[in-house]
Amino acid sequence: MTKAMYRYSAFDKQFVNERVAQYRAQTERYLAGELTDDEFRHLRLRNGLYVQRLAPMLRVAVPYGTLSSTQLRALARIARDFDRGYGHLSTRQNVQYNWPELKEVPDILEVLASVEMHAIQTSGNCIRNVTTDEFAGVAADESFDPRACCELIRQWSTSHPEFDWLPRKFKIAVSSASDDRAAIDVHDIGLRVYRDAEGERRVDFRVGGGLGRTPVIAETIRSGLSMRHLLTYLEAIMRVYNRYGRRDNKYKARIKILVRAMTAEGFREKVDAEWELIRASASELTDAEINRVEAFFTPPSYPVLGADVLAAGESSLNAARLADPAFSRWVANSVVPHRQPGFAAVILSTKVTGTPPGDVTDVQMEAVAEWADRFGFGEIRISHQQNFVLPDVPVAALNELWREAVAQGLGEPNAGLLTNIICCPGGDYCSLANAKSIPVAEAIQQRFDDYDYVHDLGPIDLNISGCMNACGHHHVGNIGILGVDKKGEEFYQISIGGHAGHRHRSAAIGDIVGPSVSRAEVANVVGRILDIYVEHRTPEETFVDTVRRLGLEPFKERIYAAAR
Amino acid sequence: MPRHVEFEGTVGRFVDSQGRRAPVDLPLLAADAWAATPSAGLLLSTDAEPDARVQSAPMIGIDFSSFHDGRGLSLAVLLRTRLGYAGELRALGDVRPDLLHYLVRCGFDSFVLAEGCQIDTDDPRLAPHASHYQASVQNPLPVFRRDHVTS
Ligand code: SF4
Repeated sequence: MTKAMYRYSAFDKQFVNERVAQYRAQTERYLAGELTDDEFRHLRLRNGLYVQRLAPMLRVAVPYGTLSSTQLRALARIARDFDRGYGHLSTRQNVQYNWPELKEVPDILEVLASVEMHAIQTSGNCIRNVTTDEFAGVAADESFDPRACCELIRQWSTSHPEFDWLPRKFKIAVSSASDDRAAIDVHDIGLRVYRDAEGERRVDFRVGGGLGRTPVIAETIRSGLSMRHLLTYLEAIMRVYNRYGRRDNKYKARIKILVRAMTAEGFREKVDAEWELIRASASELTDAEINRVEAFFTPPSYPVLGADVLAAGESSLNAARLADPAFSRWVANSVVPHRQPGFAAVILSTKVTGTPPGDVTDVQMEAVAEWADRFGFGEIRISHQQNFVLPDVPVAALNELWREAVAQGLGEPNAGLLTNIICCPGGDYCSLANAKSIPVAEAIQQRFDDYDYVHDLGPIDLNISGCMNACGHHHVGNIGILGVDKKGEEFYQISIGGHAGHRHRSAAIGDIVGPSVSRAEVANVVGRILDIYVEHRTPEETFVDTVRRLGLEPFKERIYAAAR
Repeated sequence: MPRHVEFEGTVGRFVDSQGRRAPVDLPLLAADAWAATPSAGLLLSTDAEPDARVQSAPMIGIDFSSFHDGRGLSLAVLLRTRLGYAGELRALGDVRPDLLHYLVRCGFDSFVLAEGCQIDTDDPRLAPHASHYQASVQNPLPVFRRDHVTS
């Protein structure tokens, strides 16, 4: 069965193998004392290797969050052979291992290369893995599959001669759906891609969004450029950033600071002037190249189901839902509409109380791979909410899949809800952390363990970061929790009203509700925030709508009145 | 990609199959001094904003204050593709062997390695990849305008 996935050409294969050999030599020279720590640090980061609190951490690229079942099995094998039997799904759709041996990393990269994967540019001050909608290619609300665009950018940005040593890390996200599930407003570059009335593929460029110390919503600097100009316009942006982005202070080095200093208008002028000089260069994409890459993402050949089969599938699903409220609850939030009648996309939540959000074992990975083969076309996605997604599940198979998912601890019915917490590794693993984040997530999951209550609350994104670097995207959490250090003690700052720009709401940075609180208090404060929401909401409002309507005051008053 | 360098003292020169321009080795002067003595080479910092006058320089050196200062790469690209500079282009300062392949792709001819660094004349670090995805000064055609892609 052909998958809707990019497959390596002979060129790609050779390139990745050469990269493994290069990194193996660098590692050997480092271990022999021939490379300084600082030099090796920059080189290993560009191959995904951080040195964390307890051990190195290896971040594997999952380009735009798409995996084949073969690749996921290889990731399971790596977890078993080189790690402690598990991996971690990151908020940028990648997979991280927390316990690899530095000297074994070249061997891990070799395993990855054998299944057309790598860890190139998953960290360091370079262009990172491009992310997109986890439902790309199957979403009902999409203009076209944005993954071809992502793959074109992946190839262009890999070991770029000029842009591999930027002032700071650089993240690009792409969306082609009317509902932005890729958070393109909070990336260094966010691309909206779509077909115009004539069927021509077009790109809108937003720049200067980002989280971290200075959260900013991106601004559009160019609309409606033909896809043929994708790489030359990116080149113009990158050149202006590479030359003028600040390098004297790493907290001011992201492109958002440059855009702010130049103003969006000033930045656009500079980029446009640069682009005029290079737009007709050999880097202008050809239709042949766009079509070549797009052909990899041709939808699989879905069986065409007759009206009677579709109706029977629907009615058996409804009967199963009526018979089993637990299944019904799971369907309500984990099953996502598909553009193909009779199919659905399914979210497999990793957010089970007692397990760090995003952590998955080798056995779970293998189970997911097997489901992808049995129910779908052998394809899996990773979402930035740190869950797995099966993009193609026949509606008639949902009940069977659910039973098996529950048995594997991947059937938690909380996708999109309060307890589906986005959470960075925090102080348990990360050397930059101010505070732990995993125990906070667990305390909240324990406290809100009543499924009916959590479902009744409706969609809420609760995001936790262990420090200002914001890997847990706390600024855009409807409820955001940030670990801070107060005289050597771990405290947590809480904000509300943030939004990543999905569910057809505009992206927004959350507002801090008041002084930070101790770890023991966090779940109580969250409880009070939810009480106020429940009292004031109208039937059609989600949490964030109520917060936007009421403003911060009613929340502030109550939270701190009670704390006093 | 050049898989070889030649050394003359501390100066390494990339040798590629298409041959190369005649080597030049001159003292380098900062912009003001160079304007007065244009027969010398011109020394640029990575944040320089050169204009077309540099075309007449017999040699240009770009001084990398640290090996991860990528501005020097953009500057080289601009000298080669925008300002029409065709003379000897040399990387100086904190130049490390693992980054030489970026330099050659951005149009440098020669380099002086940082204190304590050395390489063999056919060191594999000179060309970790047989070819690359993108266009560069060295190879102005991206892979999709070359011939392999159907494989
Ligand atoms: S947000 Fe901070 S603590 Fe959490 S993973 Fe990122 S750097 Fe580490």
